[in-house]
Amino acid sequence: EQIGAARETSFGEDEVLTPYSSVTQYNNFYEFGTGKDDPYRYASKLKTDPWSVTVDGECEVKGSFTLEDLLKGQSLEERIYRLRCVEAWSMVIPWIGFPLADLIKRFKPLASAKYIEFITLEDKKQMPGQRSAFSTIDWPYREGLRMDEAMHPLTIMAVGLYGEVLPNQNGAPLRLVVPWKYGFKSIKSIVAIRFRETMPRTTWNDIAPNEYGFYANVNPQVDHPRWSQASERRLPSGLFKPNRISTRLFNGYDEVASLYSGMDLHKYY
Amino acid sequence: MIRLRRIVLFVLGITPFLYIGQAIVRLQSGEWEILGPEPGKAVVWFTGTWAFNFLLLTLAVTPLRRLLKQPWLIQHRLIQHRRMLGLFAFFYASLHLLSYFAFLLEWRFAELGAETIKRPYLLLGMTAWLLLLPLAVTSTRGWQRRLKQGWKRLHKLIYPLSVLVAVHYLLQIRSSWFEPVLYAALVLCLLLLRWQKATVAKHPDGHNS
Repeated sequence: EQIGAARETSFGEDEVLTPYSSVTQYNNFYEFGTGKDDPYRYASKLKTDPWSVTVDGECEVKGSFTLEDLLKGQSLEERIYRLRCVEAWSMVIPWIGFPLADLIKRFKPLASAKYIEFITLEDKKQMPGQRSAFSTIDWPYREGLRMDEAMHPLTIMAVGLYGEVLPNQNGAPLRLVVPWKYGFKSIKSIVAIRFRETMPRTTWNDIAPNEYGFYANVNPQVDHPRWSQASERRLPSGLFKPNRISTRLFNGYDEVASLYSGMDLHKYY
Repeated sequence: MIRLRRIVLFVLGITPFLYIGQAIVRLQSGEWEILGPEPGKAVVWFTGTWAFNFLLLTLAVTPLRRLLKQPWLIQHRLIQHRRMLGLFAFFYASLHLLSYFAFLLEWRFAELGAETIKRPYLLLGMTAWLLLLPLAVTSTRGWQRRLKQGWKRLHKLIYPLSVLVAVHYLLQIRSSWFEPVLYAALVLCLLLLRWQKATVAKHPDGHNS
Protein backbone atom coordinates (compact mmCIF):
# COMPACT_ATOMS: atom_id res chain seq x y z
CA GLU A 1 0.00 0.00 0.00
CA GLN A 2 1.48 3.31 -1.09
CA ILE A 3 1.72 6.08 1.44
CA GLY A 4 0.76 9.71 0.86
CA ALA A 5 3.34 12.18 -0.36
CA ALA A 6 6.38 12.35 1.89
CA ARG A 7 8.78 15.25 1.73
CA GLU A 8 12.26 14.30 0.64
CA THR A 9 15.12 15.18 2.95
CA SER A 10 18.87 15.19 2.51
CA PHE A 11 19.44 12.49 5.14
CA GLY A 12 21.54 9.66 3.81
CA GLU A 13 21.31 10.75 0.20
CA ASP A 14 24.84 9.44 -0.42
CA GLU A 15 24.07 6.02 1.05
CA VAL A 16 23.39 2.84 -0.93
CA LEU A 17 19.97 1.53 0.10
CA THR A 18 19.61 -2.03 1.42
CA PRO A 19 17.27 -3.85 -0.98
CA TYR A 20 13.60 -3.87 -0.01
CA SER A 21 13.64 -7.67 0.15
CA SER A 22 16.37 -7.70 2.82
CA VAL A 23 14.75 -4.90 4.78
CA THR A 24 11.47 -6.79 4.93
CA GLN A 25 12.65 -10.40 5.20
CA TYR A 26 15.45 -10.17 7.73
CA ASN A 27 14.11 -8.81 10.99
CA ASN A 28 14.41 -9.20 14.70
CA PHE A 29 10.85 -9.02 15.96
CA TYR A 30 10.70 -11.76 18.57
CA GLU A 31 6.96 -11.34 18.98
CA PHE A 32 6.78 -13.38 15.78
CA GLY A 33 9.57 -15.83 16.50
CA THR A 34 13.32 -15.87 16.97
CA GLY A 35 14.25 -16.72 13.38
CA LYS A 36 15.21 -13.80 11.18
CA ASP A 37 12.54 -14.69 8.65
CA ASP A 38 9.83 -15.51 11.21
CA PRO A 39 8.51 -11.91 11.24
CA TYR A 40 8.21 -11.95 7.45
CA ARG A 41 6.40 -15.28 7.61
CA TYR A 42 4.08 -14.70 10.53
CA ALA A 43 3.51 -10.97 10.92
CA SER A 44 0.66 -10.90 8.43
CA LYS A 45 -1.57 -12.04 11.32
CA LEU A 46 -1.08 -8.70 13.03
CA LYS A 47 -4.11 -6.46 12.72
CA THR A 48 -2.97 -2.86 12.54
CA ASP A 49 -6.33 -1.24 11.83
CA PRO A 50 -7.88 -0.07 14.12
CA TRP A 51 -4.88 0.85 16.25
CA SER A 52 -4.65 3.06 19.29
CA VAL A 53 -1.92 4.29 21.56
CA THR A 54 -2.33 5.06 25.25
CA VAL A 55 -0.51 8.11 26.55
CA ASP A 56 -0.08 8.75 30.25
CA GLY A 57 2.35 9.69 32.99
CA GLU A 58 3.97 13.08 33.50
CA CYS A 59 2.05 15.03 30.85
CA GLU A 60 -1.02 17.25 30.56
CA VAL A 61 -2.70 15.55 27.64
CA LYS A 62 -3.42 11.90 28.41
CA GLY A 63 -5.68 9.28 27.01
CA SER A 64 -6.12 6.78 24.27
CA PHE A 65 -5.50 8.06 20.75
CA THR A 66 -6.28 6.37 17.49
CA LEU A 67 -3.51 6.16 14.93
CA GLU A 68 -5.42 8.65 12.78
CA ASP A 69 -5.48 11.09 15.72
CA LEU A 70 -1.75 10.79 16.14
CA LEU A 71 -0.98 11.27 12.46
CA LYS A 72 -3.30 14.22 12.02
CA GLY A 73 -1.33 17.32 11.15
CA GLN A 74 2.00 15.52 10.98
CA SER A 75 3.79 16.13 7.73
CA LEU A 76 5.53 12.99 6.61
CA GLU A 77 9.08 13.02 5.36
CA GLU A 78 11.46 10.45 4.00
CA ARG A 79 14.65 9.90 5.97
CA ILE A 80 17.34 7.54 4.78
CA TYR A 81 18.97 6.27 7.95
CA ARG A 82 21.63 3.73 8.72
CA LEU A 83 20.34 1.02 11.06
CA ARG A 84 23.01 -0.71 13.15
CA CYS A 85 21.89 -3.87 14.90
CA VAL A 86 23.61 -4.84 18.13
CA GLU A 87 24.36 -8.17 16.40
CA ALA A 88 26.92 -6.34 14.20
CA TRP A 89 24.98 -6.12 10.97
CA SER A 90 23.57 -2.98 9.44
CA MET A 91 21.21 -1.74 6.76
CA VAL A 92 20.30 1.54 5.12
CA ILE A 93 16.55 2.12 5.12
CA PRO A 94 14.42 4.86 3.59
CA TRP A 95 11.94 5.45 6.40
CA ILE A 96 8.84 7.56 6.17
CA GLY A 97 7.82 9.29 9.33
CA PHE A 98 7.88 12.47 11.37
CA PRO A 99 9.96 13.81 14.26
CA LEU A 100 9.00 12.27 17.59
CA ALA A 101 9.40 15.76 19.09
CA ASP A 102 6.37 16.95 17.08
CA LEU A 103 4.27 14.21 18.60
CA ILE A 104 5.57 14.69 22.13
CA LYS A 105 4.73 18.41 22.13
CA ARG A 106 1.05 17.61 21.63
CA PHE A 107 0.94 15.77 24.96
CA LYS A 108 2.47 18.74 26.82
CA PRO A 109 4.96 16.87 29.02
CA LEU A 110 5.50 18.32 32.49
CA ALA A 111 8.88 19.52 33.72
CA SER A 112 9.00 16.34 35.80
CA ALA A 113 9.05 14.18 32.64
CA LYS A 114 12.67 13.11 32.40
CA TYR A 115 12.19 9.92 30.43
CA ILE A 116 9.77 8.47 27.94
CA GLU A 117 8.76 4.83 27.89
CA PHE A 118 7.32 2.89 24.94
CA ILE A 119 5.51 -0.43 24.99
CA THR A 120 4.82 -2.85 22.13
CA LEU A 121 1.54 -4.67 21.67
CA GLU A 122 1.13 -7.83 23.73
CA ASP A 123 -1.33 -10.22 22.15
CA LYS A 124 -0.58 -13.92 22.13
CA LYS A 125 -3.28 -14.55 19.55
CA GLN A 126 -1.64 -12.35 16.96
CA MET A 127 1.96 -12.78 18.01
CA PRO A 128 3.04 -16.42 18.04
CA GLY A 129 6.47 -15.63 19.51
CA GLN A 130 4.77 -14.47 22.70
CA ARG A 131 3.27 -17.93 23.13
CA SER A 132 6.69 -19.57 23.26
CA ALA A 133 7.44 -21.08 26.66
CA PHE A 134 11.16 -20.82 25.98
CA SER A 135 11.55 -17.11 25.48
CA THR A 136 13.81 -15.11 27.76
CA ILE A 137 11.63 -12.06 27.13
CA ASP A 138 9.11 -10.88 29.70
CA TRP A 139 6.36 -9.52 27.42
CA PRO A 140 5.41 -6.88 26.46
CA TYR A 141 8.57 -5.47 24.91
CA ARG A 142 9.58 -2.18 26.49
CA GLU A 143 11.98 0.55 25.52
CA GLY A 144 12.77 4.03 26.67
CA LEU A 145 14.69 7.20 25.98
CA ARG A 146 15.87 10.12 27.99
CA MET A 147 13.66 13.13 27.22
CA ASP A 148 16.42 15.05 25.41
CA GLU A 149 17.12 11.99 23.24
CA ALA A 150 13.44 11.68 22.41
CA MET A 151 13.24 15.39 21.47
CA HIS A 152 16.34 15.26 19.27
CA PRO A 153 15.46 16.10 15.65
CA LEU A 154 17.01 12.84 14.41
CA THR A 155 14.54 10.75 16.43
CA ILE A 156 11.48 9.88 14.38
CA MET A 157 8.30 7.88 14.52
CA ALA A 158 8.08 5.86 11.32
CA VAL A 159 4.88 4.77 9.59
CA GLY A 160 6.39 3.63 6.30
CA LEU A 161 9.45 2.62 4.35
CA TYR A 162 10.36 2.53 0.68
CA GLY A 163 7.39 4.74 -0.12
CA GLU A 164 4.80 2.39 1.31
CA VAL A 165 3.01 1.76 4.57
CA LEU A 166 5.23 -0.09 7.09
CA PRO A 167 5.08 -3.82 6.50
CA ASN A 168 3.93 -5.55 9.70
CA GLN A 169 7.30 -7.24 10.19
CA ASN A 170 8.97 -3.83 10.32
CA GLY A 171 6.82 -2.64 13.21
CA ALA A 172 3.53 -1.49 11.74
CA PRO A 173 1.70 0.70 12.18
CA LEU A 174 3.90 2.95 14.28
CA ARG A 175 7.50 2.46 15.36
CA LEU A 176 10.37 4.43 16.75
CA VAL A 177 13.60 5.01 14.82
CA VAL A 178 16.64 6.25 16.74
CA PRO A 179 19.46 5.98 14.20
CA TRP A 180 22.43 6.48 16.52
CA LYS A 181 21.42 3.64 18.84
CA TYR A 182 21.43 -0.10 18.33
CA GLY A 183 18.33 -1.29 16.54
CA PHE A 184 16.67 -2.85 19.57
CA LYS A 185 16.02 0.65 20.96
CA SER A 186 13.81 1.40 17.95
CA ILE A 187 10.73 -0.29 19.36
CA LYS A 188 8.05 -1.58 17.00
CA SER A 189 4.23 -1.62 16.94
CA ILE A 190 3.84 0.85 19.80
CA VAL A 191 0.64 0.77 21.88
CA ALA A 192 1.66 2.86 24.88
CA ILE A 193 3.75 5.94 25.59
CA ARG A 194 4.42 7.02 29.14
CA PHE A 195 6.24 10.11 30.38
CA ARG A 196 8.24 9.30 33.48
CA GLU A 197 10.29 10.92 36.16
CA THR A 198 12.55 7.90 36.50
CA MET A 199 14.40 5.70 34.05
CA PRO A 200 12.03 3.01 32.73
CA ARG A 201 12.89 -0.68 32.67
CA THR A 202 13.77 -1.81 29.18
CA THR A 203 13.48 -5.34 27.83
CA TRP A 204 17.01 -6.29 26.79
CA ASN A 205 18.58 -4.41 29.66
CA ASP A 206 16.39 -6.47 32.00
CA ILE A 207 17.44 -9.75 30.38
CA ALA A 208 21.18 -9.12 30.26
CA PRO A 209 22.28 -5.79 31.79
CA ASN A 210 25.95 -6.55 31.12
CA GLU A 211 25.22 -7.00 27.42
CA TYR A 212 22.62 -4.34 26.67
CA GLY A 213 22.70 -0.96 28.33
CA PHE A 214 19.86 1.52 28.65
CA TYR A 215 21.62 3.96 26.32
CA ALA A 216 22.74 1.39 23.71
CA ASN A 217 24.49 4.05 21.67
CA VAL A 218 26.38 2.58 18.73
CA ASN A 219 29.97 2.56 19.91
CA PRO A 220 32.85 0.69 18.27
CA GLN A 221 34.90 1.10 21.47
CA VAL A 222 32.52 -0.85 23.69
CA ASP A 223 32.30 -4.52 22.75
CA HIS A 224 29.34 -6.72 23.37
CA PRO A 225 30.67 -9.35 25.81
CA ARG A 226 30.30 -12.01 23.12
CA TRP A 227 31.43 -10.11 20.01
CA SER A 228 33.29 -7.06 18.86
CA GLN A 229 31.37 -3.94 17.87
CA ALA A 230 34.34 -2.43 16.01
CA SER A 231 32.95 -3.37 12.62
CA GLU A 232 29.70 -4.40 11.02
CA ARG A 233 28.40 -6.21 7.96
CA ARG A 234 26.37 -4.03 5.68
CA LEU A 235 23.59 -6.25 4.35
CA PRO A 236 23.13 -8.01 2.11
CA SER A 237 26.52 -9.50 2.72
CA GLY A 238 28.06 -11.96 0.29
CA LEU A 239 29.64 -15.19 1.37
CA PHE A 240 33.03 -14.40 -0.11
CA LYS A 241 32.59 -10.63 -0.12
CA PRO A 242 31.22 -10.00 3.36
CA ASN A 243 30.83 -6.23 2.90
CA ARG A 244 32.41 -5.43 6.23
CA ILE A 245 32.75 -1.79 7.22
CA SER A 246 34.04 0.00 10.32
CA THR A 247 31.44 0.95 12.87
CA ARG A 248 31.34 4.64 13.76
CA LEU A 249 30.60 6.21 17.12
CA PHE A 250 26.88 7.09 17.29
CA ASN A 251 26.53 5.23 14.00
CA GLY A 252 28.12 8.26 12.33
CA TYR A 253 25.49 10.71 13.61
CA ASP A 254 27.99 13.01 15.30
CA GLU A 255 25.36 15.69 15.93
CA VAL A 256 24.07 13.74 18.94
CA ALA A 257 27.44 13.77 20.75
CA SER A 258 26.46 16.80 22.84
CA LEU A 259 23.65 14.76 24.46
CA TYR A 260 26.34 12.69 26.18
CA SER A 261 29.01 15.26 26.95
CA GLY A 262 30.68 14.49 30.23
CA MET A 263 29.29 10.95 30.34
CA ASP A 264 31.60 7.95 30.46
CA LEU A 265 30.30 5.96 27.50
CA HIS A 266 32.09 2.83 28.70
CA LYS A 267 30.03 2.96 31.87
CA TYR A 268 26.78 4.18 30.34
CA TYR A 269 26.80 1.90 27.31
CA MET B 1 23.16 -56.02 3.67
CA ILE B 2 25.75 -54.17 5.63
CA ARG B 3 26.98 -52.50 2.46
CA LEU B 4 23.50 -51.38 1.57
CA ARG B 5 22.97 -49.99 5.08
CA ARG B 6 26.28 -48.19 4.82
CA ILE B 7 25.32 -46.62 1.50
CA VAL B 8 21.94 -45.52 2.85
CA LEU B 9 23.55 -44.01 5.93
CA PHE B 10 26.17 -42.27 3.84
CA VAL B 11 23.56 -40.74 1.56
CA LEU B 12 21.55 -39.56 4.58
CA GLY B 13 24.66 -38.15 6.23
CA ILE B 14 25.83 -36.28 3.18
CA THR B 15 22.41 -34.76 2.46
CA PRO B 16 22.84 -31.68 4.70
CA PHE B 17 26.16 -31.02 2.96
CA LEU B 18 24.54 -31.26 -0.47
CA TYR B 19 21.75 -28.97 0.70
CA ILE B 20 24.08 -26.24 1.95
CA GLY B 21 26.30 -26.74 -1.10
CA GLN B 22 23.49 -26.08 -3.55
CA ALA B 23 22.33 -23.11 -1.45
CA ILE B 24 25.83 -21.62 -1.71
CA VAL B 25 25.98 -22.24 -5.47
CA ARG B 26 22.57 -20.66 -5.95
CA LEU B 27 23.62 -17.72 -3.78
CA GLN B 28 26.41 -17.00 -6.25
CA SER B 29 23.79 -16.60 -8.96
CA GLY B 30 21.84 -14.14 -6.86
CA GLU B 31 19.35 -16.40 -5.07
CA TRP B 32 20.09 -15.15 -1.58
CA GLU B 33 16.67 -15.96 -0.10
CA ILE B 34 17.64 -19.49 1.00
CA LEU B 35 20.48 -18.38 3.24
CA GLY B 36 19.26 -14.86 3.92
CA PRO B 37 21.21 -11.62 3.75
CA GLU B 38 23.82 -12.94 6.19
CA PRO B 39 24.80 -16.16 4.43
CA GLY B 40 28.09 -16.55 6.33
CA LYS B 41 26.30 -16.76 9.64
CA ALA B 42 23.71 -19.12 8.17
CA VAL B 43 26.36 -21.54 6.92
CA VAL B 44 28.21 -21.51 10.24
CA TRP B 45 24.98 -22.24 12.15
CA PHE B 46 23.88 -24.93 9.75
CA THR B 47 27.16 -26.85 9.82
CA GLY B 48 27.45 -26.46 13.60
CA THR B 49 23.97 -27.82 14.14
CA TRP B 50 24.67 -30.86 11.96
CA ALA B 51 27.99 -31.52 13.67
CA PHE B 52 26.12 -31.57 16.98
CA ASN B 53 23.36 -33.79 15.57
CA PHE B 54 25.89 -36.40 14.44
CA LEU B 55 27.75 -36.15 17.72
CA LEU B 56 24.50 -36.95 19.55
CA LEU B 57 23.76 -39.86 17.21
CA THR B 58 27.25 -41.25 17.79
CA LEU B 59 26.79 -41.00 21.54
CA ALA B 60 23.39 -42.62 21.31
CA VAL B 61 24.58 -45.86 19.72
CA THR B 62 25.71 -47.67 22.86
CA PRO B 63 22.77 -46.70 25.12
CA LEU B 64 20.33 -47.49 22.32
CA ARG B 65 21.74 -50.97 21.91
CA ARG B 66 21.41 -51.54 25.62
CA LEU B 67 17.98 -49.97 26.05
CA LEU B 68 16.34 -51.60 23.08
CA LYS B 69 17.73 -55.00 24.06
CA GLN B 70 17.04 -56.17 20.53
CA PRO B 71 19.42 -59.00 19.80
CA TRP B 72 19.82 -57.95 16.19
CA LEU B 73 20.79 -54.47 17.31
CA ILE B 74 23.18 -55.71 19.93
CA GLN B 75 24.90 -58.21 17.75
CA HIS B 76 25.92 -56.12 14.82
CA ARG B 77 23.88 -53.64 13.13
CA LEU B 78 24.06 -50.45 15.10
CA ILE B 79 27.67 -50.60 16.24
CA GLN B 80 28.87 -51.23 12.71
CA HIS B 81 27.76 -47.75 11.78
CA ARG B 82 29.06 -45.77 14.73
CA ARG B 83 32.31 -44.94 12.99
CA MET B 84 30.50 -43.33 10.08
CA LEU B 85 28.30 -41.30 12.41
CA GLY B 86 31.37 -40.10 14.28
CA LEU B 87 33.17 -39.24 11.05
CA PHE B 88 30.17 -37.23 9.89
CA ALA B 89 30.27 -35.34 13.19
CA PHE B 90 33.92 -34.58 12.49
CA PHE B 91 33.17 -33.66 8.87
CA TYR B 92 30.49 -31.12 9.80
CA ALA B 93 32.52 -29.82 12.76
CA SER B 94 35.42 -29.20 10.38
CA LEU B 95 33.14 -27.41 7.92
CA HIS B 96 31.76 -25.42 10.84
CA LEU B 97 35.24 -24.33 11.90
CA LEU B 98 36.31 -23.68 8.32
CA SER B 99 33.23 -21.60 7.53
CA TYR B 100 33.75 -19.66 10.75
CA PHE B 101 37.32 -18.88 9.67
CA ALA B 102 36.32 -18.06 6.11
CA PHE B 103 32.99 -16.29 6.44
CA LEU B 104 32.91 -14.77 9.92
CA LEU B 105 36.56 -14.29 10.85
CA GLU B 106 37.41 -13.71 7.17
CA TRP B 107 40.86 -15.19 7.77
CA ARG B 108 41.91 -12.31 10.01
CA PHE B 109 43.76 -14.68 12.30
CA ALA B 110 45.40 -11.76 14.04
CA GLU B 111 41.99 -11.16 15.65
CA LEU B 112 41.46 -14.77 16.58
CA GLY B 113 43.62 -14.64 19.71
CA ALA B 114 41.83 -11.64 21.13
CA GLU B 115 38.43 -13.01 20.12
CA THR B 116 39.00 -16.38 21.76
CA ILE B 117 40.21 -14.94 25.03
CA LYS B 118 37.29 -12.55 25.26
CA ARG B 119 34.68 -15.02 24.07
CA PRO B 120 35.00 -18.35 25.83
CA TYR B 121 32.48 -20.11 23.58
CA LEU B 122 34.96 -19.87 20.71
CA LEU B 123 37.69 -21.42 22.85
CA LEU B 124 35.36 -24.24 23.89
CA GLY B 125 34.33 -24.92 20.32
CA MET B 126 37.88 -25.03 19.04
CA THR B 127 39.05 -27.23 21.90
CA ALA B 128 36.24 -29.63 21.14
CA TRP B 129 37.31 -29.80 17.50
CA LEU B 130 40.94 -30.41 18.53
CA LEU B 131 39.79 -33.30 20.74
CA LEU B 132 37.68 -34.70 17.93
CA LEU B 133 40.58 -34.62 15.47
CA PRO B 134 42.61 -37.54 16.96
CA LEU B 135 39.42 -39.59 17.21
CA ALA B 136 38.75 -39.12 13.50
CA VAL B 137 42.37 -39.89 12.59
CA THR B 138 42.47 -43.08 14.68
CA SER B 139 39.06 -44.28 13.58
CA THR B 140 40.48 -46.79 11.12
CA ARG B 141 40.84 -50.48 11.86
CA GLY B 142 44.61 -50.19 11.52
CA TRP B 143 44.82 -47.64 14.32
CA GLN B 144 42.40 -49.62 16.38
CA ARG B 145 44.79 -52.59 16.20
CA ARG B 146 47.93 -50.54 16.77
CA LEU B 147 46.58 -48.76 19.85
CA LYS B 148 45.02 -51.89 21.40
CA GLN B 149 43.53 -51.02 24.82
CA GLY B 150 44.70 -47.42 24.40
CA TRP B 151 42.21 -46.98 21.56
CA LYS B 152 39.22 -47.36 23.85
CA ARG B 153 40.72 -44.99 26.37
CA LEU B 154 41.50 -42.44 23.68
CA HIS B 155 38.00 -42.58 22.28
CA LYS B 156 36.51 -41.82 25.70
CA LEU B 157 37.53 -38.26 24.79
CA ILE B 158 34.12 -38.02 23.16
CA TYR B 159 32.57 -37.57 26.63
CA PRO B 160 34.43 -34.44 27.73
CA LEU B 161 34.28 -33.00 24.23
CA SER B 162 30.51 -33.40 24.13
CA VAL B 163 30.26 -31.40 27.34
CA LEU B 164 32.42 -28.68 25.78
CA VAL B 165 30.17 -28.60 22.72
CA ALA B 166 27.05 -28.36 24.86
CA VAL B 167 28.47 -25.43 26.82
CA HIS B 168 29.68 -23.85 23.56
CA TYR B 169 26.05 -23.76 22.44
CA LEU B 170 24.60 -22.76 25.83
CA LEU B 171 26.88 -19.72 25.97
CA GLN B 172 25.22 -18.36 22.86
CA ILE B 173 21.68 -18.12 24.21
CA ARG B 174 20.06 -14.83 23.38
CA SER B 175 16.34 -14.74 23.28
CA SER B 176 15.31 -18.38 23.20
CA TRP B 177 16.91 -21.09 25.26
CA PHE B 178 14.97 -24.02 23.89
CA GLU B 179 17.48 -25.52 21.47
CA PRO B 180 20.71 -25.02 23.45
CA VAL B 181 19.04 -26.43 26.57
CA LEU B 182 17.54 -29.36 24.65
CA TYR B 183 20.92 -30.26 23.19
CA ALA B 184 22.63 -29.95 26.57
CA ALA B 185 19.95 -32.11 28.17
CA LEU B 186 20.43 -34.79 25.51
CA VAL B 187 24.19 -34.79 26.07
CA LEU B 188 23.62 -35.04 29.79
CA CYS B 189 21.18 -37.95 29.41
CA LEU B 190 23.48 -39.84 27.07
CA LEU B 191 26.40 -39.40 29.45
CA LEU B 192 24.37 -40.30 32.54
CA LEU B 193 23.27 -43.54 30.92
CA ARG B 194 26.94 -44.51 30.71
CA TRP B 195 27.79 -43.34 34.18
CA GLN B 196 24.94 -45.40 35.56
CA LYS B 197 26.22 -48.44 33.72
CA ALA B 198 29.77 -47.82 34.95
CA THR B 199 28.67 -47.62 38.59
CA VAL B 200 26.57 -50.73 38.23
CA ALA B 201 29.53 -52.57 36.77
CA LYS B 202 31.81 -51.42 39.58
CA HIS B 203 29.41 -52.58 42.27
CA PRO B 204 28.07 -55.89 41.04
CA ASP B 205 26.33 -56.46 44.37
CA GLY B 206 24.45 -53.18 44.22
CA HIS B 207 20.67 -53.06 44.17
CA ASN B 208 20.59 -52.21 40.53
CA SER B 209 22.17 -55.34 39.22
